[in-house]
Amino acid sequence: MYLIYLTKRLIMLFLVVVTAATLNFFIPRLSDKNPVLEKITEMSESSAPGSVNMQELLVIFNERFGLDKPLMQQYFDYLGDMLTLDLNYSITSYPTRVADMILGALPWTLGLMVTATLIAFLLGSVLGALTVWRKDMRLLQFFVPVVMVFSAIPFYLIGLILIYFLAYKGGYFPIGGGYSLTAFPAWDWDFISDVLYHSILPGASIVVASIGIWALGMRGMMVTVQGEDYMNFAEAKGLKNRRMFLRYAVRNAILPQVTQLALFMGQLVTGAILVEIVFGYPGMGSLLLQAVDYLDYYTIYGIVFVLILAVALSMLILDLFYPLLDPRTRSHRA
Amino acid sequence: MLTIKDLCVDFPVIAGVVHAVADVDISLKAGKRVGFVGESGSGKTTTALAVMRMIKKPGHVSKGEIRLGDTDILSLSPEEMRQTRLCWISYIPQGAMNSLNPVMRIEQQIWDGIVDHEGTFPIRELRRRSDDAIAGVGLPARVGRMFPHELSGGMKQRACIAIATALKPELIIADEPTSALDVITQRQVMETLEKAQEAIGSALILIGHDMGLMAQCVDKLMVMKDGRIVERGAIRDIFTKPEHPYTRQLISSVPSIGGESFLPKLSAEPVAGRRSGDAPLLEFDGVSKVYGGGFLSKKGNTALYPLSFALDGRKPKIISIVGQSGSGKSTLGGLMLGFSRPTTGEVMFEGRNIATLGRAATKSLRKDIQAVFQDPYGAFNPYYRVERALSLPLKRFGISSDAADVRTRCAEACRGVGLDPSKIFGRFPHELSGGQRQRLMVARALMLSPKLLIADEPVSMVDASLRASILKNLYDLKDKHGISIVYITHDLATAYHVSDYVIVLHEGHVAEAGPPKDVIGNPQHPYTRLLVNSIPWPDVDRQWGTSASAKEEIEALMKEAKGHPPVDRGSVPGFELAMAS
Repeated sequence: MYLIYLTKRLIMLFLVVVTAATLNFFIPRLSDKNPVLEKITEMSESSAPGSVNMQELLVIFNERFGLDKPLMQQYFDYLGDMLTLDLNYSITSYPTRVADMILGALPWTLGLMVTATLIAFLLGSVLGALTVWRKDMRLLQFFVPVVMVFSAIPFYLIGLILIYFLAYKGGYFPIGGGYSLTAFPAWDWDFISDVLYHSILPGASIVVASIGIWALGMRGMMVTVQGEDYMNFAEAKGLKNRRMFLRYAVRNAILPQVTQLALFMGQLVTGAILVEIVFGYPGMGSLLLQAVDYLDYYTIYGIVFVLILAVALSMLILDLFYPLLDPRTRSHRA
Repeated sequence: MLTIKDLCVDFPVIAGVVHAVADVDISLKAGKRVGFVGESGSGKTTTALAVMRMIKKPGHVSKGEIRLGDTDILSLSPEEMRQTRLCWISYIPQGAMNSLNPVMRIEQQIWDGIVDHEGTFPIRELRRRSDDAIAGVGLPARVGRMFPHELSGGMKQRACIAIATALKPELIIADEPTSALDVITQRQVMETLEKAQEAIGSALILIGHDMGLMAQCVDKLMVMKDGRIVERGAIRDIFTKPEHPYTRQLISSVPSIGGESFLPKLSAEPVAGRRSGDAPLLEFDGVSKVYGGGFLSKKGNTALYPLSFALDGRKPKIISIVGQSGSGKSTLGGLMLGFSRPTTGEVMFEGRNIATLGRAATKSLRKDIQAVFQDPYGAFNPYYRVERALSLPLKRFGISSDAADVRTRCAEACRGVGLDPSKIFGRFPHELSGGQRQRLMVARALMLSPKLLIADEPVSMVDASLRASILKNLYDLKDKHGISIVYITHDLATAYHVSDYVIVLHEGHVAEAGPPKDVIGNPQHPYTRLLVNSIPWPDVDRQWGTSASAKEEIEALMKEAKGHPPVDRGSVPGFELAMAS
């Protein structure tokens, strides 16, 4: 029974990926910009006038990237490429492979965004739960309106404020970048600490901006859970406060938060774009912005395909692991 | 053992202070069973919560003393009170359906009570104790490994009893432990509770509103009204010579089988039924319903085996469908309303198959067949005021759009069910009592002047005193308005009084059918006998069931009922049931 479910779920995953990839193929094609022309214009500007035969280059490039083939042919080539994870060459940065560009950028984004989101999720959920559980703690009650204000401010604005006060005025943190220009990328403590140091401000802006969402969501669920009969019975059982809080209240209130987290994880990379731009961070966001600017088809396709996979996989992981968290969703196995 | 002296519980409200419990004195000896009976809001639960020190703020004990043995409950520190709960006093709250943590196995929920009171034990020791507790309530050990959603209502209630008795407390308080259960399950659960209580020798406080249940289960009874004990005494004395008028009213509001009906005698010949055309009002032709069983999955679950009947409708009739939960009676109601499609057969309303009606015809069918459901709390949109909720169907079916006319009709419908429109208009559903809401549902159904009314457990969630008056409302619909009614219930006593014909359903089959005086008054099929025997009689001399052990009797009759051919007890004019042989 479980195998049937898993097979169905995997077929579903495949269909979702193919559908999304199809949209991904056609949407950039609606633009009347020509990436090859952009590339050639840029090349001709940086070389001596007349030394480049534009017409000839255009033909060569179109042929090299397969852009002279019929659209449907290109589409099937594209699908084949994507499904074999061959992400082709970048048009703008030819001869760099898109896969290499993504591999260079992805760790930055994942490292920053995943960590910051997990921190925000944990802190927000714990704080949200405590505001309901510990009505006697004054400081916590004060916390709610504050995070509500922060969750209303977009995080790039928070980022700008942090840069202005802590980096520009205060000088405690670097203004931008993923690491110091003088640092040499290597797996040693000097470089790692430099990277961590650079990630504090962008990370903090994400945490500050999103902690409120988690806290408010958790608060709402905790209020609902507190009205449940099983909380009443737990109290009548004379359970220790700590157990009632963790195993009864939080354990049930966290369930919708986990779903939310999985959805959030899939969209991290897109969410990162503005943060990365504000902080000049060398991640997927910056890469995608650049690619869209030049309409570099293959880089766009590559990045968006990675996003599609991320969303689809995080939903798959959620679906497979959620029954462990909530036994009521295990019925399909019975 | 437990002594309560001059207990007062106050709830401050805007208008002043509400005395939820006033001057209550109780003394209870070990091993005894005492019942608190009264309608909702009478302070019986609040008294129990005061003993548990679990009254929600801003309510508080303003006066009085609660002692358990030598311990002064009200002067314990919060930590001492926590240790007292479950260990000395355990409380089984109302609503066992949701009293278990949905993400924990039953045995884990027993363990955490043990661990938080007696410290940690090796897992083997804990499992031995939880298996004992589960066996003590008559459940198989595998239930411990299960999650709450995998259990039936009766099993959940018994799991709650297992949790509450695991530490062998001195006092058990059970708050309406069986209010959502059918009679057979109720009897099983009560026997379990009594056995568990006897085994550990503790005292029991049983909170409820059913005098019949009290007569079967307790030694002493406290009758509560508006926060005060209006009468107390040994159960036999209270039933033989009730002194307070409220007690008399409570006893008389329990419908019993045989004897005088609580419904008024008819003064005039009932009006003609509302059928139009020549075809019978409602006809089932080999209708069955199977849930599940689609592609890739195993055999489906048959909720209803093929059933054929015809309700003529020229003379209004009340047909009762009785059975336990899971017997298929609500499935039957859903099929009549057209909410679900039959797997086989046809449901015909006035000669037309309701599954194949067009949009307009379906709309008029919705008007002709109205429903009153079990849960009066969930049936109204909480954001609509009463008059809006009432007027919506009038507007929706295009009966009237003139504001003044709509208001008059709504007011009329309210008066028809004994509600004063000036008192309830402008209020939100949550401001009304359960009984008022339930009557409002009847009023809403009545306003559309339907031809057929499906009433699915319309009184199972209201107090005994209201039960009679709501049933009287339904009865009036038949006699004064000519509406035929299908009354779906697990309460045989009310079915006995209101209906013209009774169908007993057992696991999707008709077990017995015929006029209520025969079927319920003198049951022939073992399953019907079991149902009738399981009714808690409001009579201390009448044993609950015919043998000493409910378990044995239920098992014996259930076994006999399996495969027993249906029993036809004769028909009534205007209703024909095709009996499968």
